[in-house]
Amino acid sequence: MDTEDKYTYTQAFEELQRIVSDIERGEILIDELSEKVKRAKLLIGICKSKLTDTEENVGKLLANLNAEES
Amino acid sequence: MPETKDNRRIFSLADVGRSIQKTISERYGSLYWVKAEMNKLNLYAHSGHCFPELLEKKDGKVVAEMRAVLWNSDYQRINRQFLDIVREPLKDGIMILMQASIHYDPLYGLSLKIHDIDPAYALGHLEREKQESLARLRKDGVFMKNKSLPFPQVPKRLAIISVESSKGYADFIQIIERNPWQYHFEMDLFPALLQGDRAADSIIAQLNAIRQQLTAYDVVLIIRGGGGEVGLSIYNNHTLADTIARFPLPIMTGIGHSTNETVSEMVAHRSAITPSELADFLIQHFHNFAEPVKHASRVLTERIPVLLGQEQQHLERLAGNIHLSVHHALRLHGEQLAHLEWAVRSGALAVLQRKRHILDEITRRLQQAGKIPSRESRIALDHIVRQIELMDPIHVLRRGYSITLSEDGKAILDPASLQKGMRIRTHLAMGTVDSTVNSTQPTANKLNPDKN
Repeated sequence: MDTEDKYTYTQAFEELQRIVSDIERGEILIDELSEKVKRAKLLIGICKSKLTDTEENVGKLLANLNAEES
Repeated sequence: MPETKDNRRIFSLADVGRSIQKTISERYGSLYWVKAEMNKLNLYAHSGHCFPELLEKKDGKVVAEMRAVLWNSDYQRINRQFLDIVREPLKDGIMILMQASIHYDPLYGLSLKIHDIDPAYALGHLEREKQESLARLRKDGVFMKNKSLPFPQVPKRLAIISVESSKGYADFIQIIERNPWQYHFEMDLFPALLQGDRAADSIIAQLNAIRQQLTAYDVVLIIRGGGGEVGLSIYNNHTLADTIARFPLPIMTGIGHSTNETVSEMVAHRSAITPSELADFLIQHFHNFAEPVKHASRVLTERIPVLLGQEQQHLERLAGNIHLSVHHALRLHGEQLAHLEWAVRSGALAVLQRKRHILDEITRRLQQAGKIPSRESRIALDHIVRQIELMDPIHVLRRGYSITLSEDGKAILDPASLQKGMRIRTHLAMGTVDSTVNSTQPTANKLNPDKN
């Protein structure tokens, strides 16, 4: 479980970078925008919590994210 | 004194002893430089004297063994020198080059009396051991193993091998726990001996314990500090360095060494001089992760409204363009219709005029022909001419009648084909009138049977 978490928070970080890069280059379609912003906010939340929160709580947030997707 | 009995010279044990003692002291009268392994120091704390065990090994087997004595005053002096130069105290298991005298005592047996120990030799030997350690690690291909491990992006969960009472450990914890950015680390202490002969085994044991819970940690730290730079040679121990090199998690050392790195520090993923430096390094890694996240946040709050604003402007521009285009198209169409209307009307009038011209022409020619001297024909012709003249609509008009045309240039016979508000043009004898229909009324007796 923990190795999955280690992998996933870096995935979250990388996904966030991709979204930010798309927004900066203006390469997001207007109808995608709201969805991507929502997703980016979630990912930022996970990354911030990885820095300042307990590992346990980070795990919970990641579980929520994965649950949403599945 | 030997005695004689039954023709045998009988010596007492003490005699033998004393004889050996005399021989030895005569034969070995000076100081000799001897190299040996000091297997045990055997320091007696209350007296301060040492009774070292010396040996020589060849191919792992002991080939010579002897006891030695090192008196307190000599021990103190030599030990201080060792601390200065070798950065190690005299201890068990070191190779030494000593200056010694050889003694035999009937009671205590053979021993070497140590007068001096050469620190340079010990240093050289330690250095040689270190180089051998390094060579072996390189040959086994493990030297870079720990260094090649990927370092976690957020080194959050730390396994720390240290001693609770160590100042280095205390400094480290303080910096981590009081970081002003509220970065949260999760730390577990694995206590171990960090100095002395048992340190290597102690650290290895804790590394093995951590290995049992690999998934619970991101990084391992070995922290020591506050004890000056003495006693670090254990970190040159091959087994310890090998364990560190092969460890599956990155290991960082902060054991307070500013010169002459030890082998363990060289194979570790990262070595720092002080534990505080390690703490700063870890916090810096958190910063490196935090910066892009903060940037992402900023992009969202700043760029999104701009993008939306741009889209909005674009839409408004498009909408404006559509409005203008439609307006323009309608106007063009209107102009074309008006033109057609005019063309139709003027065309109708032109037809009327042409017909009139034809009539005039016929009349003229008839009048010309009418100059032929046949009175009946002239009367007949005059009659025809008059009839034709009478057909000219202008006579009708001059009698007060008018022709009313609709917007599409047709003569209107039935008011039912008109609606209120329609434009009509009325041709009078002396001009035209444009008007708008207010109301209509059909005539009572229907002259035109084709009414729809």
